[in-house]
Amino acid sequence: MNVIEVKGVKKDYPLGKTTVQALKGIDLVVETGAFLSIVGPSGSGKTTLLNIIGCIDTPTAGTVKIQDEEITALPEQTITDLRLHKIGFIFQNFNLIPVLNVRENVEFPLLLMKNQPRALIDSRVKELVRGVGLIDQIEQRPAELSGGQRQRVAIARALVTNPEIILADEPTANLDSETSESILQLMRQLNQSEKTTFIFSTHDPEVLKHANSIIQLRDGLLVGAGVV
Amino acid sequence: MLAVKIAWRNICKHRGKSLVIGVILFFGAVLMTVGNGIIAGMNRGLSENIVKLFTGDLVVISKQQEKDSVLLDVMGGKPLKVIKDYPQVKKYLGEQELIKEFLPVTAGLAFVLNGETESGNKMLLGVDIKRYLRFFPDSITIEEGRLLQPGERGILVSAQARRQDYKFRGYWLLPEGEELDQKKLPLPAKEQSAELLIKRELVLMGADAADSAVDIRVPIKGIIEYRALKKVWGLYNIIDIESYRETYSYVTGADSLVEISREGKDLLANEQLDQYFAGGNMFAEPGLIEEGFTLEDIQQETKKEITGYDLDAGAYNLVLLKLKDGGAAQVTLQKLNDFFRENRLEVRAVSWKDAIGTLGSMTALVKTALNVFIIFIFFVAIIVIMNTLSMTALERVSELAMMRAIGARKGFLRRMFILETAILSFLFGGLGIIIGIAVIYLLRLANITTTNEILQMVYGGEKLSPFYSWADFRFGVLQLGVVTLLAVLYPLRVVGKIIPLDAMSRE
Ligand SMILES: Nc1ncnc2c1ncn2[C@@H]1O[C@H](COP(=O)(O)OP(=O)(O)O)[C@@H](O)[C@H]1O
Ligand SMILES: [Mg+2]
Repeated sequence: MNVIEVKGVKKDYPLGKTTVQALKGIDLVVETGAFLSIVGPSGSGKTTLLNIIGCIDTPTAGTVKIQDEEITALPEQTITDLRLHKIGFIFQNFNLIPVLNVRENVEFPLLLMKNQPRALIDSRVKELVRGVGLIDQIEQRPAELSGGQRQRVAIARALVTNPEIILADEPTANLDSETSESILQLMRQLNQSEKTTFIFSTHDPEVLKHANSIIQLRDGLLVGAGVV
Repeated sequence: MLAVKIAWRNICKHRGKSLVIGVILFFGAVLMTVGNGIIAGMNRGLSENIVKLFTGDLVVISKQQEKDSVLLDVMGGKPLKVIKDYPQVKKYLGEQELIKEFLPVTAGLAFVLNGETESGNKMLLGVDIKRYLRFFPDSITIEEGRLLQPGERGILVSAQARRQDYKFRGYWLLPEGEELDQKKLPLPAKEQSAELLIKRELVLMGADAADSAVDIRVPIKGIIEYRALKKVWGLYNIIDIESYRETYSYVTGADSLVEISREGKDLLANEQLDQYFAGGNMFAEPGLIEEGFTLEDIQQETKKEITGYDLDAGAYNLVLLKLKDGGAAQVTLQKLNDFFRENRLEVRAVSWKDAIGTLGSMTALVKTALNVFIIFIFFVAIIVIMNTLSMTALERVSELAMMRAIGARKGFLRRMFILETAILSFLFGGLGIIIGIAVIYLLRLANITTTNEILQMVYGGEKLSPFYSWADFRFGVLQLGVVTLLAVLYPLRVVGKIIPLDAMSRE
């Protein structure tokens, strides 16, 4: 089954009097449970494509379907709820809430969902925090954690709602190679245990060995796809 | 709960900014509370010490009167016009639901004669003492002598006027039949009390009636003190209405005993009167005085006529009106004036503020100034808070956008921001209100008094008595709420413009 179908997606950004064509017509199908890597040089359109798939940006042309639902024309609040329930995000700069500790950061999306039983929240959060290896730091705030630990928290937060897809835009760009390695291993492991689709972008060829499928972008166009 | 938690932790984390907003809210609330307290005290003082003490809520005056400022305008000098059509006015006022009571009076300046020469002047308020005491039950107290009796001729001199007379004319006024009381003398008079010149009656002449001048001899019955604003109201000495009318050669109530057709008398043409009453002044008819009349009797006695004639048959200058509690002064004023105009009555109604002229506009000015001051504080508070919050919003764009990206609705971010401000507002503003109330009570305890008439208007009396009620509290909380809301509006717009895309890092 396909979890994502992208058809003819273009994205233009106005830049002064001209426009930048960030995406020039992308067709892409992602299968459920994939661990997909988008590669390409800086400026090739990776972030733009992930934003459009993640419903935080809209294409200039083309359609995006998530689980067979056309999402480009939905009203804002529906899209917000769709992000909450179906998509998890991992950001390059980790982006945790500084005033909340690890547990509170991870449970944040569940609290936004309303009506989640407290006991369920607690067990789910504990399970995930243990899963990313931070059970001893569960009461610490982001400022007390290392970069790698923060990204682990972000991964746990992205997974906590059991989303269909997790999108990660250069999740290891701000980490050293050793930490990057362990983060990717963790993502891969969770991809298999949670059966969640992962799509992540990178411009680091080292990262590619973890992916089970790869697409390559150049100047807003798909130039290659393949399975490792 | 989640929003509250994040809001509270952000307050604690950004202590500096929270403190800036908090301190502004605190001082704003203190100043606002004290300012409101002073205004409330002023309002209450003005009502107690002006409306309930001397002017009533509204004053009906002659239409011919050039200016509305008919009281306290000593320097303006022109005598007041007589009210025409009083019977119709009286009938109409009596029918009004909103009017509790009314008191017709005469008021103006009279020369005091000393032998053949003029010896200063006195402001007089001519009243039917019985009606006066019913209308103003606790405006005056007797310092020496006694009250006027109903129907009796005589004058009640204010303690203030007596002191002035001693200071500038060198004589000491004493009520009829009273022993000189050493204790009441001013200091210099005490040393030479043996040679003290004592006067027990005044020879008065209406300041208007130069060519038809009638001088009448009026016995001093008592020395009175006004309950408050002694220096202001002390200008006025209370005289029985018939004596007043005679000094001004007005039509007196007693005239109605004489067979003269009303049409035959021009109320305003004093010359004609003298033809009927050569020499003019008539002293009290003995039969009119009821013996042993005390203040209580006078106050209890209500509508019963005790004179053999109707005092209302004579001339009046003003009618003071007292409204029922909650009677809307502005509405009643309008209604009265509409009626007077439609029925072509030669009178108009004015507010007490207009009636006391400069002093009245002073009070309005002070009140406006205080209000402007409070609004200014509001304004400054709103601007500073607005700026600080907008800065906060901009600093947290990435964090807020991330929340949007992972599924928080706009409303959630707004709620967080409102809560952050509301918590500060509740804590610091609340503390400010409490401290403000404490300041008000300290000010009351401090017993700050003044003899300056203008300051007395601010104080609403001799003593600064700011005042705080539950209504003020509710109003204060409301004001605080409005400040919070206005201050947060712009930052909310900033927050509203944050889109999930702002969470993504760009290189
Ligand atoms: N908001 C924007 N306004 C203008 N140009 C943009 C904007 N976002 C991206 N671009 C341009 O679109 C192209 C693709 O950018 P991006 O998707 O960030 O590439 P990548 O993530 O692969 O580095 C680049 O040329 C970039 O300059
Ligand atoms: Mg990028």
